[in-house]
Amino acid sequence: MALTRKFVDELRAIVGKDGLIVSDEGRLVYECDMHTFYKGLPDAVVLPATSAQVQAIARACRREKIPIVPRGSGTGLIGGAMAARGGVMVGLNRMNAILEVDLPNRCATVQPGLINLWLTNAVRERGWFFAPDPSSQMVSSIGGNVSTNAGGPHCLKYGITTNHVLGLELVTGSGELVQLGGVVADRPGYDLVGAAVGAEGTFGLVTAVTVRMLHAPEAVKTALASFTSMEAAAEAVSAIIAAGMLPAALEMLDSVMIGAINAGVGAGYPEGAAAVLLIELDGPNAEVEAQAVRAAAICRERGALAVRVARDDAERALLWKGRKEAAGAVGRLAPTYLLQDAVVPRSKLPLIMRQMEEIARRHGVLIANVFHAGDGNLHPLICYDDRSAEELARAKLANEELLEAAIALGGSVTGEHGIGLDKAKNLPLQYADADLNFMYRLRGVFDPDRVMNPDKLLPAHPACGEGFRPQRPVVPAGAWV
Amino acid sequence: MSAVASRSVAAALRSVTAADRVRDERAALETFAVDAIVPRWVARPVSVDELAAVMTVAAEERLIVAPRGSGSALDLGAPPARLDLVVDLSGLDAIVEHNADDLTVTVQAGRSLHALNRYLLAHRQFLPLDPPGEAHTVGGTAAAGLSGPLRFRYGTMRDLLLGVRFVQADGVVTWGGSKVVKSVTGYDVPKLMVGALGTLGVLGELTLRLHSLPEAERTWLVAVPSAAAAQALVASILDSTLQPNRIELNDHTLGAADAPLAVLVSFGSVMEAVVEQGERLARLARDAGGEARAVSGEWTTASDRVAGDRRTTLRVGSLPARLRSTFETLRRALGRIAGARSTLGAHTGLGLWRVTIDGATPEAIATAVAWLRDAVAEHGGYVVVTGGPVAVRRRVDPWGPIAPDALALMRAIKTTFDPDARLNPGRFVSGL
Repeated sequence: MALTRKFVDELRAIVGKDGLIVSDEGRLVYECDMHTFYKGLPDAVVLPATSAQVQAIARACRREKIPIVPRGSGTGLIGGAMAARGGVMVGLNRMNAILEVDLPNRCATVQPGLINLWLTNAVRERGWFFAPDPSSQMVSSIGGNVSTNAGGPHCLKYGITTNHVLGLELVTGSGELVQLGGVVADRPGYDLVGAAVGAEGTFGLVTAVTVRMLHAPEAVKTALASFTSMEAAAEAVSAIIAAGMLPAALEMLDSVMIGAINAGVGAGYPEGAAAVLLIELDGPNAEVEAQAVRAAAICRERGALAVRVARDDAERALLWKGRKEAAGAVGRLAPTYLLQDAVVPRSKLPLIMRQMEEIARRHGVLIANVFHAGDGNLHPLICYDDRSAEELARAKLANEELLEAAIALGGSVTGEHGIGLDKAKNLPLQYADADLNFMYRLRGVFDPDRVMNPDKLLPAHPACGEGFRPQRPVVPAGAWV
Repeated sequence: MSAVASRSVAAALRSVTAADRVRDERAALETFAVDAIVPRWVARPVSVDELAAVMTVAAEERLIVAPRGSGSALDLGAPPARLDLVVDLSGLDAIVEHNADDLTVTVQAGRSLHALNRYLLAHRQFLPLDPPGEAHTVGGTAAAGLSGPLRFRYGTMRDLLLGVRFVQADGVVTWGGSKVVKSVTGYDVPKLMVGALGTLGVLGELTLRLHSLPEAERTWLVAVPSAAAAQALVASILDSTLQPNRIELNDHTLGAADAPLAVLVSFGSVMEAVVEQGERLARLARDAGGEARAVSGEWTTASDRVAGDRRTTLRVGSLPARLRSTFETLRRALGRIAGARSTLGAHTGLGLWRVTIDGATPEAIATAVAWLRDAVAEHGGYVVVTGGPVAVRRRVDPWGPIAPDALALMRAIKTTFDPDARLNPGRFVSGL
């Protein structure tokens, strides 16, 4: 879709000359997010500086039925922030101010382009933090976190982004600037904030976010336990939770990943370990001390090879080092990988790991695992060589089978990365036509002309591209007298 | 509708449920009245499929439907505009699936919260929702958006509802969410259903996140000399590393201006951490000019127990840091009501106040609510009449004004999913 000169002039009038990118090389930077499979060049990129500019852009695009694709830092993993059908990409990076920090009311209001970690950095000295901490938090934007409903290693205890969003300013697909929710709790009416968080830019463009701020815990304690089997490690996870603990994080690595990390960053995980479990407890010191002893004992009872408890921040950082650099370490195993984000009920972890081995064997692919064990959120990295179309095809098959296996165990299609373009086709694994139809209609409320981030989050209807048609229950014969 | 047509609706409802689970005799119907409006039929499905079949009949016959759990929150919202069919969900009370290892449970909507938690006790788990009152069903708690003091630590139904199976106005069974504790697949439909008062669909089955019961729990009561002192204490707790379960301003009967206030704080953890946090609380209490003493946790407050038709209850939302000024605003508003005995308490860590007004005329209450709304609106506050006589709720919009931009979206959502306005019409915000 080429934009008319008149329309480009209109965009320039809204955002100014330095807020508009139309050159080929300039737009190329924006052709994909971190899921580099999916490429789509926007016809123009605009970098608005105010909510009013965002609204003017949305209104102009709606009038001309031109697709709008919101984008934060572009660190998404799902092909969400890419222009599947061209159109106008709206980069919100210039709107990155902290508008207000109000710790007495435990909240802050920020613009969407603000980098996640910068918010915590702004209040750390006062002893506070913003809980959602996706691994990308050094670069990802809060607007992007809100749009994908991002998670992170600590959401076992703290919840995902939606649990921390109190209010939103949103420019809807119909071009309205609306204030949803706010600092004061439990406002009457439908929970529009709850509906809009995680909508992946299909409802509109987030222009401001009010988030919950939390006081930092008194103590943090990190322990690392290694096991000779995944089963033993998974059992330790279940036992820790059954003992009434809710660790801030419970992260697991499998033998493939341990090998890659040891060869790479040298985190010093024990040789011969088939699973490494990272346990982080936080809270009042007395609670953390008591629970750390208990968690370590549980790991030993389950046959842990070794249990190390960090004695200070430096040791804690070392224990996390391997985990944090896991994705990079996989570069030693294969040129690239597919990353799956399916969820299984925690108790099904041993089962899905066995199934995964079988899937890997069947398709002749190497799968490395690093995952959020506490909430059953898998992150298998399915390795392949991108110079071989045949290897890629096998990796893709393994990826799809793994997802189906997770759903068959009662799981979910995505735990924290989102749907985007990548998984829209997979939604029917989890939802029936009626469920998808409900979502289509909900989208229509916010974006009646379907200009917002087309092709993302919901699958196209096989027949008509509109909503799914649900079946009504069959009324028994003779019901109508 | 003619008598023949009326009999045919009853017959249709019976054919999809059972003869004894559809009532259409006057005496039975009266016990299911909503705000004195007597329905023409009551149907009691015992499965989600039956619920769907009942809703399909209702759609064909264009019946106005009011879902009902225990009936304990029926006076939330405006009196219904019309009412044909009450869908009594008390027969949907099964625990469908409890995955103890995963800390999740799937229950039918009519299961009572207390019955669920009694069952979970054997597993040392619980659903940490504690709205005052014994009778609330899980579905009713979700639909009415009810919560209690434990929300300070565990959040509300919004945070605990993982998945929901509901029946839309046209009878279509719909599922949203997931059965695992972490999922971002598709739109967050469960959140849309929480607090929607059944106006978008009738809840049939809910999947919920559970928590382990803390090993030990203790409560401290801090008596402070003034609202200013209470505010200082609460601020110091919030700006500390203490991790309370609950922070409540205890029930306070409005009387003399200088009557002391009580702040209740509980901790749940391992015993060492409970005791140690209690000691730190005591120090903060002394700094605020109060004294902490251990008490037995009594979270059903006196105002919750005030029964009777004359009682009006309010929820006032405000900023937590404005405790003192909100307290004084409430005192002024309630002081204007002649002949009323008013009590108030708060989830004070969250700025949510509960007000009970006993014994005043509907006119006086309506005037006071209007005044209060103006007074708290300045700082983003609001007032909801959460229960009380029909006469009060006819005089004053129980929900208060909704900002036009948000209301336009709410209206569009309602029109999209209930185009004929047959689900609880008139009872939700702005007459939705």
